[in-house]
Order: sequence, then structure tokens, then C-alpha cells
Amino acid sequence: MTFGDVLIQQVINGVSLGAIYSLLALGFTMVYGIIELINFAHFNVFMVGSFLAMYILEALGLNGQNVILTGFPLVGVLAVALVGTMLLSGALGVLIERTALRPLRGVPGTAAMITTIGVSYILFNLVLLTIGADAFNFPNPMPKVRWGEAGVVLQLREVLVWIVAFLLMAGLNYFVRHTKMGKAMQATAQDQEAARMMGVEVDRVVMITFFLGSALAGAAGLVFGLYYNYTNFAIGYTAGLRAFTAAVLGGIGNIPGAMIGGVIIGLIESLGGQLLEVRWTDVIIFSVLVLVLVFRPSGLFGRAAVTKS
Amino acid sequence: MTSIRRRLLLATALGAGVSLAIAGLGGPTPAQGAEKSVTIGIDLPLTGADAEGATRIKYGAEMAIDEANAKGGVAGYKLDMMTLNDATASAGQYDPAQAATNAKKFVSDPNVVAAIGPEMSGAGKAMAPILSAGDLAIITPSSTNPDITDPKFAGQFRPAGKAIYFRTVTTDAYQGPNMANYMRDTLKMKSVYILDDSGAYGVGIANAYEGQAKKIGVKVLGHDQLNPKEADYTTALTKIKALNPDAVYYGGVAGAGVKFVKQSYDVMPKTIKAGGDGVFGPEYLSAVGFPAAEGLYATNASPHVTEDPAAQEWVKRYSERYKVQPDDYAITAYDAALVIIDSIKRVAASGKPVNHSNVRDAIQSAKVKTLQGEVSFDENGDINSRVVSVFQIKHNPKYPVDDIIHQYKYIGVAPQSPAS
Repeated sequence: MTFGDVLIQQVINGVSLGAIYSLLALGFTMVYGIIELINFAHFNVFMVGSFLAMYILEALGLNGQNVILTGFPLVGVLAVALVGTMLLSGALGVLIERTALRPLRGVPGTAAMITTIGVSYILFNLVLLTIGADAFNFPNPMPKVRWGEAGVVLQLREVLVWIVAFLLMAGLNYFVRHTKMGKAMQATAQDQEAARMMGVEVDRVVMITFFLGSALAGAAGLVFGLYYNYTNFAIGYTAGLRAFTAAVLGGIGNIPGAMIGGVIIGLIESLGGQLLEVRWTDVIIFSVLVLVLVFRPSGLFGRAAVTKS
Repeated sequence: MTSIRRRLLLATALGAGVSLAIAGLGGPTPAQGAEKSVTIGIDLPLTGADAEGATRIKYGAEMAIDEANAKGGVAGYKLDMMTLNDATASAGQYDPAQAATNAKKFVSDPNVVAAIGPEMSGAGKAMAPILSAGDLAIITPSSTNPDITDPKFAGQFRPAGKAIYFRTVTTDAYQGPNMANYMRDTLKMKSVYILDDSGAYGVGIANAYEGQAKKIGVKVLGHDQLNPKEADYTTALTKIKALNPDAVYYGGVAGAGVKFVKQSYDVMPKTIKAGGDGVFGPEYLSAVGFPAAEGLYATNASPHVTEDPAAQEWVKRYSERYKVQPDDYAITAYDAALVIIDSIKRVAASGKPVNHSNVRDAIQSAKVKTLQGEVSFDENGDINSRVVSVFQIKHNPKYPVDDIIHQYKYIGVAPQSPAS
């Protein structure tokens, strides 16, 4: 491998990693855009999503990397797992919103945010106490397809991550810009009171926002599992923190900002690790964050450029 | 004066009450008729992530104690056990704070004359200073961090001076370097990249390995740290792949290790991957899976006894009794119990009272024939024989995937000095 090859390889790694952060960052940014709440429970909705995805794949008859599918069965299994995981994770998000957050709507200060931290810990410990601390071999039915053995290697799993992330983000963008509910979300983000007076059901909008954000977190959980063939009760923390950083970097509340922010964090992580040392990853990421916030306090792409345009 | 004496009396009564309550809750009720008894403490992470190995160790210790009782006890004493769990639900594995609490329970009970455990060095570090203050000896069958017995850290781990932390396994000061010798001599490794998981055990063994690798002329291409909380190691592994080392040595436990083994199979399937006893465990089989786990080298800080023909009768007894196969740390636990039993016998024979201090002194001077050979300790508590065994994961489809006894294949001893 030449140095150029290594850099290209690290870009491939970074974009794949970044795509997962992006999916996760969208949930933070959407909720913040609508009700100005930083939802820390999102970290562990993602983690629960990865377990849901694992159980769905196992229910479909997969076990570790022993069952390899191709063609239609592969696409079918992945589609069922994706839809199932997104629906269940979305439902979990709605449940959290209805039980823990809606009663606090209108309470000033940080009560709601602290509550999301509490919910996050509850999810974390529920999984720890019921499923345990073991690492799990996440089922993966994808054949090992690799392009370019000697130099830069591109694997099927990376292409899959990109495709799933791209389709979901494109779908979300379409939903927010062109559907009635999406426009209601934009209106609510701009001015909740005015939207309410114009006949927007704000509670419903918030619920749908939680559903979509959590469904994307579930999708990120599935993609994470397929990419690393691994899940564990503790995966939410680091990935969640990086995704949150991505959302802030892109301008929290800004949907395209979160997408690009995620990829930027992924690239900083892989190229930073390559050019410096891997142990410095966190220092590099958070230094970039601090620098961006010092010079552009509303993030790279401005707070709420789209949802609050 | 009186008030102090009264307080002491009260404390003793409380201590005895607590230990009675524990004995009543825990182990079997002492057989009727035995006149005198002493207690051997056992501290292990019996629940959570470390439970499987800990249970094998517990059975090993228990078996020796039960066998001694079946022969009528030791020098007129019946042996009781006080088995404590040092794992907590919040840690999900061993918890140093719980280990410290358990050590206090052992020390406060005058009937506990010695203890077996802990499984993990992190627990050992928390227990050692407390045991030192109580002059109570513990023999670990598996914790290998050298600092606990290193005289450099005596102020921290044995402030009272005398060795109280004995081992029936050797330490990472040999486990890492011996493996470097083995990899150069037998696997023909010329260059290596070293990773650790930033934990106490991982950093220690990786540094010891690195020192020896450099000394014997292996090119060390780098030494980086993996964050066990992080999921993605492809960055580190891509970087390593570009350097094209013959081998990657990983110092650490399963937290980061599972992800390291899995992802390195994707990035560089052909490079030799090796680690210490931190990569010897069921997670590397069940959570990594095959083919990714295939070919991983691991070591144990003890001789490999379970396949020794002379030990087969013992292995059969163990597996019939507990319905699981013993591993080598079940053997070292059995050996630890034999050392304690022998020491109690010698104290009793000398006519001295069987208590913390006298049993400790007897363990210090022990020369006991055990399953792994004669066990004796140096002045710091480390075992005098320093055998490191090498294993490799080789998938054997006849046995369950996570069966560590059959999926890790013994391939030899890692030499203490390199062939030059």
C-alpha cells in the first residue's frame, strides 16, 4: 500500500463511520429543531435498536456469519430487518416522548433534558440487567465481497452502509420539504405558537418527530451491527457522543448540517488516527468542535438554516 | 480502658455475627460432630461477564477442600468455605470496590485463615492493601498483573511489609516477554505492531512484550492504544496494515479484544494475531465467531495441565462432579487450595495456633507437590516456576463454538529465554 492508497482507504473508513454518525445525528437535530430539547435518550435508543435488529435477524433464521444469502433473499431479509427495527425503535421513541417528556412540556429550564439523561440510563441498565454485559456476534448474511485486494479495499458492507444512509437521508429530506407533515414540522420549528394557531397539531408533530428520529437511530443500530458484526450494551455512549458532536458541528437543528457533520466527524476520526495516533482521536474531534464553535458559534452551516428558514 | 475493651468486645461479637450470618446463608452447614474448624475464603466474580472462568476456578478450589474434608479434615480441623462474589450488577463484571469489601470481611473474621482468589488483577489491587493490614494471605489462581507483588509497589499493595498476595500462576512480566520469544523463534516474526486496551492489565503486558521484542531484535513498528468504549478500530487497523507487520500483539481483555479480533480479520486476515490470557476466553469464540477467530494465539500464565496424562484422573473427577471441563486456572485454583491445606497442616503440627499470621508464614515457606508440579514462592509471593503456555484457536466443529477447552488448542511452552 502506498501512502496515497492508505489515505483513500481511510477516507472509505471515515465515510462509512460518518454515515452511521449522520443517521444518529439526525435524531438529535430534528428534536432540537422542533422543541429545542437535547435528547440524551437517543444514545441508547440506538443501542436498543441494534439489539432489536439482532433479534429480528435471528428470528429470520440467521446465526452469526454462518448463513450467507445473495440476491433477492439477501435484500428481502435486510429490508424486513430495516423496516422492523425502524418501526420498533420509532415506537420506543414515541413511548419515551409520551411517558417522560410530554408531561414536562412547557416546564422551563433543563428539567426535560435531565429527564432524557435519566431515560438514557434506564434503557442502558435495562439492557445490561436483562441481556447482560456480553459482546454479541451480530448476524450478517452478506457475502464477503471485496474489490481490490492489494491496495485499496472496498467491501460490500461499506457500500451497504452508504446506500442505506443515503436513501434514508434523501427520504427524510423529501418528507420534511414536500409533505404536509413535513411542512407542519417546519412551521412548528419556526414558531410553535403561530403554528398552533394556524391549526397545526403540535403534539402530533412532536410525536412524529420522535418517531422519525428514533426510527433513524434504529436504522443506525442495524447498519452498525451489519458493519461491525458486533453489538453490546455499551455502544450507545461513544457513538452517541460523536453523533451529538456532529449535530452541533453542522449546526444543531439543521438537517443537512447533521448529515454533513456526521461525515466530517467520521473523516476526522479516520484521518486523524492515521496522521497522528489513534489514542488521540477524542482530543482531535473535540478540538475541532471547540474551534468551530469559537469561530462559528452556530455551527458550520448555521443553526436551523432549513427547519427554521 | 473499659470502654475500649467493651468496644473491642462489641466489634468482635459483631464480626462473628456477620460471619456466622454469611456462613449460614452461603455454603453448606458444617457437619455435626467436627470439633474444630477453620475457614478458607474464596473471592471471585461469580456473576456477570467473568462468571464462566470464575466458576471453573471456584470448583477447582472447592474440590480440593471437599476432598480434604472427606479424608477427615486437616490436622483435626474441618475446613469451611466463605465464598464471596466480587462482581456487581452495575459493573457487569468484577468490581474492585466489592472486592475490597470482601477483603474486609475475610480480615475481620478470625476464623478465616487464608483465602483463594481473586480472578482479576483489578480486584487484586483493591484487596491487597486490606489483606496486608490484616496479615491474611490470599493465593490467586489467575491474576497476573506484576505490580501487585512487585517490591517497587510494596508501599501501595503490602504496606505492612510481608508478602500476602501469592500466586499459583506466573505474571505478565513473563507472559508478555515469553510470548515475544515464542513468536520470534517459532512463528518467525520479524516485525510486530503492538496494541493495548489502555487498562492496567493491557498496558502492563503490552509494555513488557514490547521491551522484550526490542531486546531480541524484533522490529516494533508502533504501539497504539484502543479505546474499549469505541466500536470502530478500522482506522487503527488500516494504519497497521499499511506498515505490513508480520504480527500484531494485543495486550488487553475482551472489551476491546473482541472488536480487535473481528475487525482485524476484515482488514488483514493473514497477519498473525496474538495476545495474553486476556484473549483466552469464551467471548473470543461466541462473540467473534468463526472464521474471524480462527488462528488467534493466546497464552496462559501457567503450565498446561488439563491434557497432561498424569492429570487425567483428576480431570475426570472434576468433570464428572461439576459437569464442565476444567481449564488450567481450575488446576491452579486446586493447587492454591492444596498449598493452603498443606500450610494449615504444618502450622497445626508445629503446635502454633492456626491463625492469619502463622498460616501466612507457612504459605511463604511452602513446598507443595501439586498438579502443576512443586509450588513454592519467592519473597514477594510470586511462584518460582515461570511457565507460559501458548494456545491457538482452531475450530473443532465436533464441540460447541464457545467451548474454550476444545476450541483453543495447546501448542507449546513460550520460552523464558529466546533461542539466539
